[in-house]
Amino acid sequence: MTYGWTGRRLRVDLSSGRSRVEEIDPAYMKKWLGGRGFNSELLYREVGPDIDPLGPDNLLIFGVGPLTGTFAPSSGRSTVTARSPLSGGFGDSNMGGHWGPELKFAGYDQLVVEGTASSPVYLWIDDEQVEIRDAAAVWGRKVPQADAMIKEELGSEEIHTALIGPAGEKLVRYACILNDVYRAAARCGMGAVMGSKKLKAIAVRGSNPVKIAHPEEFYRICAQARESLHQDLMAQMLRDQGTWLLTMPANYEQGWFCWHNFQKGFHPDARKLSGEEHRDKFLSHREGCFACPISCGRFSRIKEGQYAGEITGGPEYETLTGIGPRIGLLDMDKVVHNNKLVNELGLDSCSCGGAIAWAMECWQRGLLTEEDTGGLVLEWGDQETITRLMEMIANREGFGDLLAEGSSRAAKILGRGAEYSISVKGHDMSQDDPRGLGFAFGIGFATGRRGGDHLQGLPCLELTGSFYPGLVERILGTREAEERLSPAKKPEMERYSEDLKAVGDSLTQCTFTHSWSFAVQPEDMAAMLAAATGIELSSDEMLQIGARIVQLERAYWNRLLVGRLEDKSPRRFTEEPMPDGPNKGTVFPEAELIPLYYDVRGWDRETGFPREEILIELGLEGVAIDLKPYRIEYQEKVHRAANPL
Amino acid sequence: MMIDPSHCTGCRSCEMACSLYHEGVCSPALSRLRIIKYEALGKSYPSVCTQCGKPLCLSACPHEAIERDERTGALIVNENLCTGCRSCLVVCPQMGFDPTKMVAFKCDLCGGDPQCARFCPSGAILFTSADSFSMARRRAAADRAQLVQPPLQVV
Repeated sequence: MTYGWTGRRLRVDLSSGRSRVEEIDPAYMKKWLGGRGFNSELLYREVGPDIDPLGPDNLLIFGVGPLTGTFAPSSGRSTVTARSPLSGGFGDSNMGGHWGPELKFAGYDQLVVEGTASSPVYLWIDDEQVEIRDAAAVWGRKVPQADAMIKEELGSEEIHTALIGPAGEKLVRYACILNDVYRAAARCGMGAVMGSKKLKAIAVRGSNPVKIAHPEEFYRICAQARESLHQDLMAQMLRDQGTWLLTMPANYEQGWFCWHNFQKGFHPDARKLSGEEHRDKFLSHREGCFACPISCGRFSRIKEGQYAGEITGGPEYETLTGIGPRIGLLDMDKVVHNNKLVNELGLDSCSCGGAIAWAMECWQRGLLTEEDTGGLVLEWGDQETITRLMEMIANREGFGDLLAEGSSRAAKILGRGAEYSISVKGHDMSQDDPRGLGFAFGIGFATGRRGGDHLQGLPCLELTGSFYPGLVERILGTREAEERLSPAKKPEMERYSEDLKAVGDSLTQCTFTHSWSFAVQPEDMAAMLAAATGIELSSDEMLQIGARIVQLERAYWNRLLVGRLEDKSPRRFTEEPMPDGPNKGTVFPEAELIPLYYDVRGWDRETGFPREEILIELGLEGVAIDLKPYRIEYQEKVHRAANPL
Repeated sequence: MMIDPSHCTGCRSCEMACSLYHEGVCSPALSRLRIIKYEALGKSYPSVCTQCGKPLCLSACPHEAIERDERTGALIVNENLCTGCRSCLVVCPQMGFDPTKMVAFKCDLCGGDPQCARFCPSGAILFTSADSFSMARRRAAADRAQLVQPPLQVV
């Protein structure tokens, strides 16, 4: 009997129209946990370096973990994994909502979509029944309409859908997948992969229970974790203000407010986008992901102005800043409206904001003219142009076609402006600036598995860790690491956070419970896992699984000949001192910290590849062998870079 | 059991607590209460038996398998008497059916400590008397009224 997991992987081949169920071996579960771990392993094994991200051989993998769909707090998340059409490398994206648990209740730990349909289709999974259905009528529809039409066609509201908008259909390289209309797997262009397979939606309904190995023990541990979250200050603040609570400290105390594409970290009027402002004037109601006692999700209602009457899910902090201050907007109604628009179109708000911000900065510096933009004038904060651009991007229309490639590729195609693409490995930065946010975060931005990304480790130990007396010292041996802009122990902090996050993403349990709020500790996660599945792991053993996942994802990049040379922050973060605000003058000390991080992570300083012995120690012997030829080839690349002809 | 849907975030912690407590598994389909969700609006509505005064389930049962627990006031399905005929499901939407055991199930107030109310993180499901519930809402309304009028001063 399998507890926690279902032990089943559903494979659907859209080319042949056939589906099959595979059993997952218990030893495999123990090695990779589930969710992100299962997905990353499968991607590494089956999607090699020669496979086109937008071709039929790329896989689109959805994974949930042993705690998904249970009483464990905040356990409703799921991970989507594929080779990314935006960065060309490893891609995954994590989403909340209720779709992941529904997949679990339908009886699957993992769904693997293979091949490409010959015409638009959607997938209908109703427990054992798996059906590929014609999607001609919903193709081209925005997300909310498509969701409603599919539910009507299937004759039930008790269905959860994950779907793409027009942006995914048009292969915008940063198109997202949304479930329950407003919960996005936003990053890495997973929606474009889905669009390339001509798959509009995956509708799921499940009626099976998740079996629990030790129900009374599981109840007790989960009840305790829920009580800890209820009492926890950070969780209470998230409940009260959502991720909007970041605006005030980000701008006024810490100076990382990403104004005008990160040209500044501070704006005197940032309070117009504060959590209090949103709660008091725009909050319609709160909305929670599955089994989440925090429920940081918001629904907003615009009461006045040109968008009066609109109601929409979100936005979250990264969205409100990505399509707000990053492109010169501070008016909450416009930000909320733009959030509604990108969600309906199926665009990642971070990369969409990044692409528009890149274009606006190029315009500011005279690198783009009306000749390039087809007559559009790209002034910062011009709402009419911004909404026009969003539609043009989603439909790949005119100048929008260039921006649909993402800022990094767009700069290459244009032949100028590369230094204003605030991205790492082709993946746009989220709205986080290491010159203010913190140096452990900075390490994650430069080296992350997805490219520029605060969710590599979300090392909130340097942000909120000091609210928990003794926590940082216990984990890292010194209180100095609580200081955001101190380099002390930051490589170790980032490593710890990455391993823990990989565990959380695999179980699955929301990062906000164990990194931001620290109410749930690794020991609690291990106890929940043991009670749910019957598999006893110490917290160290569990973190080692996290490390295994991180190393495998790194190896995925290495096999594409990406390593130390590509671990580069945007030049702005390392060379332009923060011009104003509370940490005026700061730069991110990349050259100092990255080699130290490599040492801590067990990566070779010359190549940035994991050393063979660390791979073997983590049970990745096969990966160590795989990497041998790539390691030699990459060393040559490093030498060529050091000694150009 | 009192419900205030305006507070419900739709997280369904209640469904998990309920099915784990009663069946030792996590399953919305076996939960005694369900959350009705309107995803596009982000609205949710907890749907649960209120142990009503003139219970149709009790009247409809041809086998007298539903009885009231005098201590808690809960209407309880006696699994030994239930034949799985589902007459109760026809007359009341708060009844559930277990396809494995082939018996009807419903909210039994967990013997006086309803798990849904205990773990509802937002105050949408409350185990309280109708009077306390109404008074709390009357007071909330009065509090709101104070915002638009000069607050009363105690001198």
